[in-house]
Amino acid sequence: MMRALAIGGFLVGLALFGLIEWLARREGSRIPTLGEVCAYVMRYEVGPVPVGRIGLFGFWWWVGWHFLAR
Amino acid sequence: MMEQPHDLTVEAPRTWERPVVCVPVLVALSLVGGRFPSFSTEANLYVFGTGGVLIWLGLTRRVQGHTAPQRLSSGAIWWTLPVVVFGVFEGATFFAAAGDDFPTFSLLADPLLEDRLVRSAGWLVWLSAFWGLVRR
Repeated sequence: MMRALAIGGFLVGLALFGLIEWLARREGSRIPTLGEVCAYVMRYEVGPVPVGRIGLFGFWWWVGWHFLAR
Repeated sequence: MMEQPHDLTVEAPRTWERPVVCVPVLVALSLVGGRFPSFSTEANLYVFGTGGVLIWLGLTRRVQGHTAPQRLSSGAIWWTLPVVVFGVFEGATFFAAAGDDFPTFSLLADPLLEDRLVRSAGWLVWLSAFWGLVRR
């Protein structure tokens, strides 16, 4: 029962990512695409340090390492 | 010959940034990555190598990027919905530490990623998204 709940929850989460991306890509949508949100986050800098880029690249590299190397 | 006004000229993407080049490269890299099993030295080195090159390309901005938006519209708040749903389930399953009875996303993904083809598909998703981030 709890296993089904976990699987269902993750599937709903993934489906929501897809649904909102689809809504964002419709003409005239007020929702930015996930790529635009990421680009906006990557603009964040502290002085000369591109904190946003380092943070997102680091997070995505960790995702790959966690699922594909561990 | 008349000189083009600066704001009317568009810089063509470099050869290796064109889809006809980078898509086959990403597919080839993914097929190689799919051959390395979890916890192997090869898999770790491959993730470090490919990820390291992409991070280097992204931080040095050697790849032509899209223009980042100056601000986000209010609709951006909708992105918190999938993040919160996914985060709540990942957090709950992680802290419950109930193993297969209430598995984390990693525990669910691991048996799927043992298949070489699925693993290559995982690599393709990871590398393609990484390439997309680098180009932003």
